[in-house]
Amino acid sequence: MNTGLPEMLHCLNSSTSENCEMSVLERQRSRLKQQQQQLSQNHPPIPYFNGNDHLAYSGFHVDQALSDLVLNGGAMKPDPGVEHHDFRRFMNSGSATTDFQMSSALPRTVSYTAAASVNSAPGKESCKKRKADRSPKIAAEEKKMKGCAEEESKITEQNSNSKSTTTTISTSANKNSKGASANGKKASDAPKADYIHVRARRGQATDSHSLAERVRREKISERMKYLQDLVPGCNKVTGKAGMLDEIINYVQSLQRQVEFLSMKLAAINPRLDFDIESYILKEMFPACPPAMEPDHSHLQFNTSVEEVSGSGLEMVVDPMDATLRRTISAPITAQQSFLNSSSLNQIQQVTWEDELRNLYSMEYQQGRSTFISQQITGFLEANHVKLEM
Amino acid sequence: MQNSSSSSSLMVKQEFFTKWKKGLKIYSAFNKEMTIMERKRAIKLSADVAIASTRSATTQWSRAVVAEVSSSAAGAARIAAEEILGRKLSTERRKAQAGKKIVRRRRKAAARGAVRSSAAAVAKKVVRNRRRVLKRLIPGWKKLDEICLIKETLDYIASLQVQVDVMRHLANAGETLHHQQILL
Repeated sequence: MNTGLPEMLHCLNSSTSENCEMSVLERQRSRLKQQQQQLSQNHPPIPYFNGNDHLAYSGFHVDQALSDLVLNGGAMKPDPGVEHHDFRRFMNSGSATTDFQMSSALPRTVSYTAAASVNSAPGKESCKKRKADRSPKIAAEEKKMKGCAEEESKITEQNSNSKSTTTTISTSANKNSKGASANGKKASDAPKADYIHVRARRGQATDSHSLAERVRREKISERMKYLQDLVPGCNKVTGKAGMLDEIINYVQSLQRQVEFLSMKLAAINPRLDFDIESYILKEMFPACPPAMEPDHSHLQFNTSVEEVSGSGLEMVVDPMDATLRRTISAPITAQQSFLNSSSLNQIQQVTWEDELRNLYSMEYQQGRSTFISQQITGFLEANHVKLEM
Repeated sequence: MQNSSSSSSLMVKQEFFTKWKKGLKIYSAFNKEMTIMERKRAIKLSADVAIASTRSATTQWSRAVVAEVSSSAAGAARIAAEEILGRKLSTERRKAQAGKKIVRRRRKAAARGAVRSSAAAVAKKVVRNRRRVLKRLIPGWKKLDEICLIKETLDYIASLQVQVDVMRHLANAGETLHHQQILL
């Protein structure tokens, strides 16, 4: 609680807006760190991605999940109804996510909750109501008392609606008065930061426009952070312009790759049937997850992202020459041994294709560990290495 | 967790792959002999529709891709797309999507009367231009406002990564087999 106070006074005294925002985030981060430390011992790993449901997919479970996430300190089981693979892919956490990840992640979701709740209808109405009542500085003190009382009463409530009103209450209470915001903040610090405070900067216009603008900007910056993690090489650039540039380049390169690959596939197959290749790929797809189970039980956000993004970069490097050399040597020598032991195939193809198919299937059945080490084909190796990450 | 992320991305890849093959089968059923350009177009269209359908119309870009295909495709392409999506495509023009009206903001620069050559203003202009460029890259960009732009970009990038990944593996497999064929 006391840690909040000097920061807040600092915030109030500072002239720049950025310091204010940073201190809000820093405060949230420190609070959440405490929370996490307390709860991490008792509770299962924080499913961070659950709080980000709303990010990739509109709306269901937003308020519920977010309120639960925040109010329980993030210790809750993933919602089984939410079956979206996409955000899991690039937003993940496990039991061993670092403090930094969590604390940087949760404030984002937390501030997004503020955005969600502020923008929701009840939030807006109460916001407007508060502003209508308030006359600057005269009612500020009264508001402060009301705000404190209401905040404390709402501490025990676990409701997203209450959260939104608390947000707006603290917002309005903090806007015009200096000391009031200090006390309001302090009271809300007591329940270990379950409520998000969207505070207008001192001296700023207090109409709903600038408030919404601020919330919108926070939302945008939060999402830009996700983009930063998804796009490789974005970490090195700071600032919106550079990041946007990287993102544009990446999207363009991905689109060009699709074109190029489709051309390549058209050139390879005169008949547009991919049965042969799909046979190989099918063996890869279902078999890899079970092989991965004994491996990492946790993953940091960055590595999962790198796994996804590394594949995009591989294309640029074009390891075809290396894979060719590997593939040529291994299957040819091993073909004879597999010819005798291979099962009969019904597909009437050139015999070498049968042998190769058997080779892959037999190799795979014999042992995944040997399969990994032998690296029969470059793409299989690349796929596997990628998954192992 | 790594498992969930890899398995879920694998699921997406599998889904994309099966849908893509479904579309290609229809193409090959229609024309036995296709030029390379026709094949390329078939592959690309099937891949695009397949990856868009993995989102099952939850995102703006996937809807835009499907709408564009439904308005411009003909013959085998249309049937392939319908097969992938599992539903009929509407031939009429795109209906206005509900709730996504973009209000063009009036240029406030003149009203503000601020110094245009200040660093902040220049930076803002640069950022704004880049945002516009990025917006144009995403399919269905006309209906995106700034917040949705980033969300859609996220989703679109992830889907493109899946698409490129699967296509690249397929191309690698095909190429190695092809080279094996030549060598033997």
